[in-house]
Amino acid sequence: MLVHLQGPWNPLLGRLTLQQIPYENPILLGTFIFAAILGVIVLGATTRYGKWGYVWREWLTTVDHKKIGVMYCLVGLVMLFRGFIDALMIRTQQAIAIGPNSPGALGAVHGYLTPFHVGQIYTAHGLIMVVFAATPLLVGIMNIIVPLQIGARDMAYPYLNALGLWLTTAGGALVMLSLFVGNFAHGGWYGFVPYFELPYSPGVGVDYWMWAFQLSVLGTTMGSINLIATIVKMRAPGMTWMRMPIFTWASLSTNLIALTSFPVLMVALGLLGMDRYLGTHFYTAGMGGNLMLYNDLFWIWGHPEVYFLILPAFGMMSEIIPTFSEKTLFGYATMVIASFAIGGVSWGVWLHHFFTMAAAPNVNSFYSITTMLVGIPTGVKVFNWIFTMYRGRVRYELPMLWALLALFLLLVGGMTGMMNAFASNDYMWHNGLFVVAHFHMMVLLIAASVFGAVEYWFPKVFGFKLEQKWGKWFFWFMVLGTGWVFVPMFFLGMAGMTRRLDYIPYTQWAPYLHITLVGMAFYVVAVLFFVAHLYVSLRDREKNRVGADAWGTSRNLEWMTHSPVPAYNFAFIPHVNARDEWAWRKENGIAELHAGDYEDIHMPKNTGIPLFLGLLSMGLAFALVWRIWWLALLCLVLMVALIIIRSFDRDTDTTIPAREVERVERAARDGSSGSVPPAGVLGDAVIATSTVRSGSGGIGGNTTSPRPSWAPRNR
Amino acid sequence: MFIKNKRSKTWPRLVLPLALLTLGGCSRSGLFLLEPEGLISQTFYHYFMLDVGIMLLIIIPTVVLTIWAMWRYRKGGNGSYHPQWSHSYAIEAVVWGIPLLTVGVLSYLSVKAIYDVNPYNPGVIAKAQQAAGGDPVEVDVIATDWRWLFIYPQQHIASVDELVVPVGTPVRFRLTSTSVVNDFIIPQLVGMIDVMPGMRTKQALVADKAGTYVGYSADYSGAGLSWMHFQTKAVSPAQFEQWVQSAQQSPQHLSYAGFNRFARPYIAVGGDQQIFGQVQPDLFDQVVGEVMRGKVWPTPMAMTENMVNYMKKQRAEQKAGDY
Repeated sequence: MLVHLQGPWNPLLGRLTLQQIPYENPILLGTFIFAAILGVIVLGATTRYGKWGYVWREWLTTVDHKKIGVMYCLVGLVMLFRGFIDALMIRTQQAIAIGPNSPGALGAVHGYLTPFHVGQIYTAHGLIMVVFAATPLLVGIMNIIVPLQIGARDMAYPYLNALGLWLTTAGGALVMLSLFVGNFAHGGWYGFVPYFELPYSPGVGVDYWMWAFQLSVLGTTMGSINLIATIVKMRAPGMTWMRMPIFTWASLSTNLIALTSFPVLMVALGLLGMDRYLGTHFYTAGMGGNLMLYNDLFWIWGHPEVYFLILPAFGMMSEIIPTFSEKTLFGYATMVIASFAIGGVSWGVWLHHFFTMAAAPNVNSFYSITTMLVGIPTGVKVFNWIFTMYRGRVRYELPMLWALLALFLLLVGGMTGMMNAFASNDYMWHNGLFVVAHFHMMVLLIAASVFGAVEYWFPKVFGFKLEQKWGKWFFWFMVLGTGWVFVPMFFLGMAGMTRRLDYIPYTQWAPYLHITLVGMAFYVVAVLFFVAHLYVSLRDREKNRVGADAWGTSRNLEWMTHSPVPAYNFAFIPHVNARDEWAWRKENGIAELHAGDYEDIHMPKNTGIPLFLGLLSMGLAFALVWRIWWLALLCLVLMVALIIIRSFDRDTDTTIPAREVERVERAARDGSSGSVPPAGVLGDAVIATSTVRSGSGGIGGNTTSPRPSWAPRNR
Repeated sequence: MFIKNKRSKTWPRLVLPLALLTLGGCSRSGLFLLEPEGLISQTFYHYFMLDVGIMLLIIIPTVVLTIWAMWRYRKGGNGSYHPQWSHSYAIEAVVWGIPLLTVGVLSYLSVKAIYDVNPYNPGVIAKAQQAAGGDPVEVDVIATDWRWLFIYPQQHIASVDELVVPVGTPVRFRLTSTSVVNDFIIPQLVGMIDVMPGMRTKQALVADKAGTYVGYSADYSGAGLSWMHFQTKAVSPAQFEQWVQSAQQSPQHLSYAGFNRFARPYIAVGGDQQIFGQVQPDLFDQVVGEVMRGKVWPTPMAMTENMVNYMKKQRAEQKAGDY
């Protein structure tokens, strides 16, 4: 052992003992039973219907950017549900445990959760919502849409793409595992030092938090490299920078932020790991350590991360609003500049996360002003969206409703954000519920955009629209819940109520806390409507089949190919003639998908190695959490071995023959004309032959002829 | 008593939204930030109202514009339709100009406010003190897991979870922590300042009105955080003198050795207040120094995992001993 640890340790199981399984806690026991039943049903059904081969071939080993994107979204959705349950528990606890006479149950003095348990819940809630729900959902949607929007056949690095997915999933799985084996960190999602050092957090919770976080950081960094390379290098011919769809611009900006900021977090967490495992003193109070260092490093990542989340959301709004206003986006160039301005400013504002850490007034002034600067490009974006609707024909379909909700949330969140940036205000309510309510406005804006984007692009990915009736119920109950939870929370902020309380000493605050509980009830109903929405949509999918251009007024390249998109995306790589290419083609009457002389398409081949690397990294993290050194070493050796094996594998690509392309294209065309629906979802499996190809050419879409006959000639 | 807060609160109130106006009526509502009773918190309130007012000048028209565009240009409505219209230099100038102007004005106010209330040397207090003369009251604050110890170095007394200050006199704090980061706040009197182990931070306040105000830690510091609050009694200078004299009679004394026992993790469920009649003179500096040299009061694993049992045990132990 390298550091002194409280509690037992043995070479075989490390710190893991039977007492670490919280079977005596009825809440966790219930959760476990629920999870176990769900697991048995899913695995049982897969076996019963003989789908293991399908799951393995089409999903687990896939490198197809669309399927990887769908899996990212599924991971995000599951974690979103978990994060929501955490939120429900925090709000119920705070609604019960008010004042010294409030009742207590299940071993808690007040309420039904002990401080230790509440701590784990809000830590998990924060980490999950930011890192394992919002991030995978956004990365998933970028994964699906960006290559389609730029007319590419896959990402620049399909293998890296799969690896990013499985590392992120491994991190999420680790957070889930901590429910049933050991415990989770209990001091806030961003980790306080020295509170997260061994003397104050002696258990394994912080280790779980740290390694789960590290895995997701690794996954997201890989994803950002991939998306940047894809956008820079793989745009279809003719797509100049200023013809790029606005969502792609947002993705580029956001991934530049990710690539430059995530490594900082890796270092920050790495140093904390050295403190906890090797006994160094980077962040301790004594022995030369400095806790301020952690705050700086963490928020140098943490604030750009906020914009990493919000820029794709802005991009989604910028796609949805023009489509449903039946009009071009107002101020395209301004939007691009604003996206990059937000990205640029994001590196210079991190100190506003600790205005109260005794920086000199000139330092606080600087960061107060830079923070306010963010308001300028954001304000411009808001006005541009409004002027996009101006002189348009606004259709209130579900994606548009979500985008408009996001717009209103941005107005509230933006205003309160400007109030937070005003440092003298922040002195009064830093770490308070005003800040909490503010950033929930912002993340709900992200959530609203994501729901809108899913409604919007769902038909593209799966070939049928989601139904509207239950979706609208879901939407309106989300609106109700948001109002009832967060308006009182702003008042609690004015009350000076701080974050992370498991017991509320002041009974005057009770009415507000009880109103938020009503809001939570609305949210619960909303979740039920969401399930109904999904169920009805899947049941009635044949009724809602759509062709390539699902909404009729969409504008970008992704609407040019079939819905669902074939594995190779585009039978021919399109030549781009204008900004909003698809709208341009429709106006000029060349929207017809041509049947032509199909050619062989060169695509990456499936591989199981990313999945195994993900599993092994999870094993490694688990072993490190419990300090089972032999297991950690084993996993590490196997990972290195797999990476070496993979690097000698020359058989990584495959060719889809022209006749196969022709078959798929014909089926899709016939399907979209109404007679025969295309079989399966998301790109019917194509029969591919594996060949080792030498020389250049690849998924970027080098078809054999440099100038396809179908490309429009007069530009 | 020699400092009067003359800052007007009436005109910013005029630009308030209705919601906040109605709140102004229900005092004692627990909305502490809206009921400022100290020089610093009044100053915050003043700038806060200005800030809200200016923001609403922008936000309300924007909301109206959004709703108007949504209604006027709905499909099937009366709005004209120009699908190709996507650019106008005039509009672009306005949409960049308005946020630029707003941010400019707010930045100016923000910087002014920061210098007025910055914890190390609040402009408003420095000004008031210069005008009136007199010595400030000094208080050394040590945050432990999870109690507040207030040492009055000039009076050689200390008080646990209870802060007594004279009305109208500047009080200057030096703050440190024994273990993890806490955040010191008395919402009706003064804003937050981090209280960090092995480091010394500063804060200052002037209470305008006699009364009892709540104070607490605003930064997460562990299982006992929710009970880590203290009472602030603002009393007249005469009453303050009286309180000091009675405190000096307390038989309990505090040295570093006693403090070493005092600083062990302890959850003050009952708001356990305590007075020390005599305090080792350089206790504050010694605690900062010891923590810098690596002294820790660790949280036992038993405490993180079963707080309630631990609380009972520790309570029995600590009640028994004198420091």
